[in-house]
Amino acid sequence: MEAVLRRAEQAGYDTDEEKLLIEQAQSGNREAFEELVRKHDRDILRLAFHMLGNREEAREVFQETFLKAYRSLNRFRFESSFYTWIYRIATNVSLDHLRKRQTLKEEISYESDTESNPDRPALKDTLAATTYYSNPERRLYGREVGERIQEALKTLSEKERLVFELRHYQGLRLRMIGEIMGSTEETAKNYLFRATQKLRAQLGKV
Amino acid sequence: MSCQDFQRQIVLDLYGELNEGEKVGLETHLYQCEGCRQAVKEQSEFSSTLASEASAFDFPSDLLVESRRALADQLDQIERKRPWWRIPTFSVVFTPMRMLESAALIAMGLAFGVYISNQQTVPAPAGANAIAETLPQNGLVSNVRIVSADSSTATVEFTGDIVQPLRFTGRIEDDTTRRLLFSAVQDSMNPGSRMQAVEVLARESSEPSVKEVLIHAFLNDDSLGVRLKAFEGLKPFAGDEQVRNAFMQALMSDPNDGVRVAVVDALAPFTKNEAAASSIAEATKYDDNTYVRLKGQGLIHTVGAQK
Repeated sequence: MEAVLRRAEQAGYDTDEEKLLIEQAQSGNREAFEELVRKHDRDILRLAFHMLGNREEAREVFQETFLKAYRSLNRFRFESSFYTWIYRIATNVSLDHLRKRQTLKEEISYESDTESNPDRPALKDTLAATTYYSNPERRLYGREVGERIQEALKTLSEKERLVFELRHYQGLRLRMIGEIMGSTEETAKNYLFRATQKLRAQLGKV
Repeated sequence: MSCQDFQRQIVLDLYGELNEGEKVGLETHLYQCEGCRQAVKEQSEFSSTLASEASAFDFPSDLLVESRRALADQLDQIERKRPWWRIPTFSVVFTPMRMLESAALIAMGLAFGVYISNQQTVPAPAGANAIAETLPQNGLVSNVRIVSADSSTATVEFTGDIVQPLRFTGRIEDDTTRRLLFSAVQDSMNPGSRMQAVEVLARESSEPSVKEVLIHAFLNDDSLGVRLKAFEGLKPFAGDEQVRNAFMQALMSDPNDGVRVAVVDALAPFTKNEAAASSIAEATKYDDNTYVRLKGQGLIHTVGAQK
């Protein structure tokens, strides 16, 4: 975790080496693009996995993020760091997935419509099969505290969840989070405080 | 500002997001408000619990490999579909010099190919079969490095580590079990394993060799979860000189507020004399965390009052 934080601390700036890679990737060099992917893919996957809570969607977010980056790399003008730019894409893709999931929940009743769709599994079963703690690795380490934290995280609004995730788990500075969200540092501070308060209220003394 | 307003500052301070002026304002308030000091402590502990829980379950290790592979496939597809006029350009200028260079390269390639094909196959060195037998059928050979490659004899020399599947049951106090647990504590790729191993070892922390491993993990592990588990194992021995030294070191260097809060609390009951109190006060004098600083400085008064 501390390694993540240290990396995040240094992430606001593009090194000369990274600038060169970006320029090479912009001119169509696939290897340079893959090198850029390698530099950031752990952070992006971690964000996606934490935000979505299951490996299938995390993998989709990972792919969508880097494919979008690949397609729009020519529009990257070095006005922000590449790290901020790629995180902005990843957070938007993650939020889209969360919204789609919410829409799906609203459209499909929680219990399956067994009469008209006998083959379709109940949504609750689908969710149970793909949530964070259905993963054996999660089950192994998560235990009770982990499950309670995950439940509490669900009570946060999208933006609160995002800011909390980016600050607490990914170690980004609030100024950068503000940039990623297309907002201000002060707004990010407010989201972080509200998220923390809500979590403490939900969890009491963990 | 009311205590209610300072709650926000406390949270932001823990995340290192206050400017100097705001920090001074918060500190001034904390000197006179016991309730807010308590809030700092609770918030630090809360943040540490959240962080340690997260570090214990990073994404599954195979997910990164799987995601990278899927992305590479997608990129291949995109490139295959890309019309020829959008394929990255490269310079093809047929100057006489360039053509001469190309011809020379092709000739060299052909000559090398003929030379290699005429070489007799060199028999595998003695012992190769024995090594082949030790290669795991369902395991891995990791860290493979080519030490040397000799084209004249067509031989390659490798080094690497054979990783074989293992399943073992043993009592914690057994030597083999301990060695395996110690290995797990050093598994840099897997914070989950490290945390589990430290958790198991912490039950035996009175053993000198175990204590040493726990101290090492506590002071050096990147994962907050591992450090906190190691701390739990060491905490009952905070009076022991070796553990106390480790705690003092963590107090000065651990980047996590929660760890430093826990350490200063653990050291307090064992701080009976002025020298010990002064060293803690010195170590915490410039701490970013207000609770750690106040608690550290306060120990001098506590020890003085007990005299």
